Amino acid sequence: MVEFIPFISSSINDTLASLAYLESEIVLVAGFLLVIIIDLFFSKKLPQMSFGLSMAIVLIVLTQNFTLLNLNPQVLFGGMIVLDHLSVLFKILFCLVSLIFLLFIRFNKSLQEHGKGTGDLYAILLAVHLGMNLMVMSSNLLMLFLSIEMVSLGSYLMVGYISKDSKQSEASLKYVLFGSVASAIMLYGISLLYGFTGSLYLQGPSFIAGLQNLPQLPLVLSLTLVFVGIAFKLSAFPLHFWVPDVYQGAPSPVTAFLSTGPKIAGFAVLIKFLILLQAIGIASNAIFTVLAMIAILSMVLGNFAAIWQNNSKRMLAYSSIGHTGFMFMALFVLPGQGYKALIFYMFIYVIMNMAAFLILDEIEDQTAKQNIDEYSGLGKQLSILMICFVIVLVSLTGLPPTAGFTAKFFVFSTALDAYNSSGSSVILIMIIVAALSTLISLFYYFKIPLNAYLRESTDTEIKASISPKTYLSAFLAFLLLLLIVFPSLIEQFL
Amino acid sequence: MIPLSHFLIIGACLFSIGLYAVLTKKNAIQVLIGIEFMINAAILNFVAFGKYDKINGGGQMFALFAIVLAAAGVAVALAIILNVYKHFKTIDPSKIDNLRN
Repeated sequence: MVEFIPFISSSINDTLASLAYLESEIVLVAGFLLVIIIDLFFSKKLPQMSFGLSMAIVLIVLTQNFTLLNLNPQVLFGGMIVLDHLSVLFKILFCLVSLIFLLFIRFNKSLQEHGKGTGDLYAILLAVHLGMNLMVMSSNLLMLFLSIEMVSLGSYLMVGYISKDSKQSEASLKYVLFGSVASAIMLYGISLLYGFTGSLYLQGPSFIAGLQNLPQLPLVLSLTLVFVGIAFKLSAFPLHFWVPDVYQGAPSPVTAFLSTGPKIAGFAVLIKFLILLQAIGIASNAIFTVLAMIAILSMVLGNFAAIWQNNSKRMLAYSSIGHTGFMFMALFVLPGQGYKALIFYMFIYVIMNMAAFLILDEIEDQTAKQNIDEYSGLGKQLSILMICFVIVLVSLTGLPPTAGFTAKFFVFSTALDAYNSSGSSVILIMIIVAALSTLISLFYYFKIPLNAYLRESTDTEIKASISPKTYLSAFLAFLLLLLIVFPSLIEQFL
Repeated sequence: MIPLSHFLIIGACLFSIGLYAVLTKKNAIQVLIGIEFMINAAILNFVAFGKYDKINGGGQMFALFAIVLAAAGVAVALAIILNVYKHFKTIDPSKIDNLRN
């Protein structure tokens, strides 16, 4: 014990210096506690106070993150956390997700009308936001596992928050069981990695050296076990089976959140492990082949299964599996280049996916219709909403004149660069599959405008009202049109 | 002294038993017990490996955090299972399949 005494003052100094870079996380923790207290004492008198407070907190966090852009990589808390430009970009993405999610909860009918109130949901969101922030910054396996669990536990609670009918409780049961199994498998993989290397620091020299000296079988086994946990968050091919059920059953705002926030955080963790694999010196061809296989299978499965879906949320769930596969393509970057195409695609993906779920939810609120074949005639009844929906669907397909085209174009050009430099045929197959699956996605996305505009409605006229959600989705659709003209609005930060 | 390999074998057995329970049991609570087996296998590994990591004690630390997280996870899962029972009057995961196209 005595030999540690000289290190105490230096480690305290390190911790105090690190706290300065962690302002946004401190704000989130304070906000989390504040929202709980406010909801406890003022929820009767001022029912929307916790909403306003959480909006303010997320906006503060957003501005704090903007000041951290273009920062040199900072190693904080003795290597527990590394704050660099990429993680700040991810943190800004999470702020965008949280902002839209908060507005979505605020104007969602079923959540607002429920007797439980939404105060706790805002508090859970702030905790999950904190978890996602830590996920993208962590460079230690303990920190990584803690933050992943923080996100998972919060998401389980969100899915089962109201459990008003059997479908919602079923979705939450499936999510919690599959999720716990995935994280238990991941924990076992982490314990093996720790045993092989004697270190928990992902970029530490002893960790890398330990993995370099390892025979192939234990290395592949332990990394596969860890990858199970990450792939669950990504909803990538072998661990996608929970997605349709959970996305269909969960309340729409929560579905919109799950398909964006935790998925993006999962990509940040995946990038950490890819950097680690490159540092170990595994042949990049082997890694690329595995990644390309996952991408191909996710795209094929997601897009083909989406064709047969009639429930609109289930259709978007399968299409989000396809988008995961597509985002894998943006991971094929040459060493030294950043993940610009990936981040740009994610920005657009957040906007269009959130908008799609907002519009679905608004249609459900106004007409109680969930299935695509019931949408007939809606083009006349909910005209503004359906115009926005068409723009969003064009963007999800990846056609001009929407930003979805720009995003897909960047990803394709990144993957083509990777093919030109490596000449690997798997990458070429992946690019071809991506192009074909874009074509296939036309079929299921355009079923919605087909029904809404070209088929006559059989039932009585619906009294359409313009609600805040319509304005919000119109704004998001406008952003999609704006960003194809001015992609530099996002690109300047990358 | 008990050699390290004994701990690892017990850990691997626990993990396999847990995975078997997760895959075969027809009761959500028994599935949860299986998950708990798997987590505890990993915790046992951590503590066993941690004995050789005298400077940092990272393994023991990780084990403590993992125990707390496992407890939190079980609390959430039990609450959700209770909700499911209210709606379905059963907690057999294979019978709970209302969600489909």
